[in-house]
Amino acid sequence: MQFFLQILILSVFSMHTAASEYVVVANQNMHKVSLGQIRALFLKKSSYVGDTKIVPLNLGSRNKIRESFEKKILHFHLSRLKSYWMKQHYLGHRPPISMKSQESIKAFIQKVDGAIGYIELKNVDKNTKILYRWSD
Amino acid sequence: MKIIVILLLIISVLFAQESNKEKQYQLGEGTQVADLPLYFGGYFSLNYRNKNSENKYRLNDIALLAYGDYRKISYMAELEFKKFYSLYERDGNYTSQSDTSLHIERLYIDYNFDENYMLRLGKFNSQTGFWNLLPINVLRATTSNPVSTNILFPTFTTGVYASYSSYEEGEFKIDAMLQHNEDLDSTYNNYTMDEHYAIGTSYIEDTLEFKLNIGMFDSYRSNHLTQKLYYTLIALKYEEEAYQIMGELGSQSSKEKVTTMYAGYLQGLYRFTEKHAGVLRFESYDDRVTQKKDNFAIFGYTYRPSYPIALKAEYQLHTLNQDNQFLFSLSVLF
Repeated sequence: MQFFLQILILSVFSMHTAASEYVVVANQNMHKVSLGQIRALFLKKSSYVGDTKIVPLNLGSRNKIRESFEKKILHFHLSRLKSYWMKQHYLGHRPPISMKSQESIKAFIQKVDGAIGYIELKNVDKNTKILYRWSD
Repeated sequence: MKIIVILLLIISVLFAQESNKEKQYQLGEGTQVADLPLYFGGYFSLNYRNKNSENKYRLNDIALLAYGDYRKISYMAELEFKKFYSLYERDGNYTSQSDTSLHIERLYIDYNFDENYMLRLGKFNSQTGFWNLLPINVLRATTSNPVSTNILFPTFTTGVYASYSSYEEGEFKIDAMLQHNEDLDSTYNNYTMDEHYAIGTSYIEDTLEFKLNIGMFDSYRSNHLTQKLYYTLIALKYEEEAYQIMGELGSQSSKEKVTTMYAGYLQGLYRFTEKHAGVLRFESYDDRVTQKKDNFAIFGYTYRPSYPIALKAEYQLHTLNQDNQFLFSLSVLF
């Protein structure tokens, strides 16, 4: 019985893991961007795509999608990212603004050309343009 | 009186930041003035050095930063008390020095044309190597700076800086610095100069970063009259979550002779935890102007109760024994 219970728990966990797919999104007016550009934009090394000013949007610091984004896309863990932003403060750069929810990000990017954020794939709708896709 | 005013200013800024917790202010990130494109911050450093039976205590690098950006323009202003107060003790005898003059450390405007091209005008850190980009105590690995960062090239440039960057698979950058005028506040530049021309290129791929700089400047150094000096610097950095390996190596010459045969360092930093890190650095240089040649090792340890506060200790072991020294510092970014 215990064996079957373990299998069941593992199966549910696997299904959940497979479902953890995320996307970097903007509104339909955004140009295509490469992974390198996304990384540069969220680290504020660059603020433009072409001549469009970009507004990168983060989720809250303890959000699991943000943790995945920072680890898989930016290649930073939280502690090293903290030290990175301290250094950027000396260089005159601010971290991206944080939004409370995926819904807030979607609402913001609809209103502002050049705004980009990341959300779960399942929350994409016809108004959002997928720029990059990754999974845990 | 000035000392009291400055200390009160720093304490009040720190207190204001502490009371801004509901706005999610964090020490080391500066603070915004209303909703204006204006952020304030700063840093300071308290140092202790024991060398040749002399104890030196110093409050230095008290700096205030102001910066922001609006549309395609961004700016940075940094004012600093460089050697605010120094106290020396030898054989029970004390002497002190105080320099309360305020200096312009950096003052520049950037214009971003698009994602690739950027132009800077003003006084800025020379964009040479890695160390010189983040030279303040609280952000660097050790209290001391490598000798190579002080003898090969001018640490500050007053003029124009232009860069082209590309962010695809890796990050590629090529840049140029041009100075053809007096320094804007030359007091603490390591060279007094009125010309500096340099180009550089860098490439970053994941955890590996490479950089090459070559340049020429016209200068007086330490009262030794020099002609035009030419320098080359190569730099390499490899960084993982737990450790960092970084090195810079360069040389300098005039038209007639080699002025610095070589100067460089290789540094390893290991983060035991988020708060504790150990540093081991080897340095070597052959300076033909001062006739000084040395190899030495630095053993350092840093404790950061939080990242913007650093307590650092280091011991330097030189082949020139009289340069052996112990350093300790407390530095804060706010």
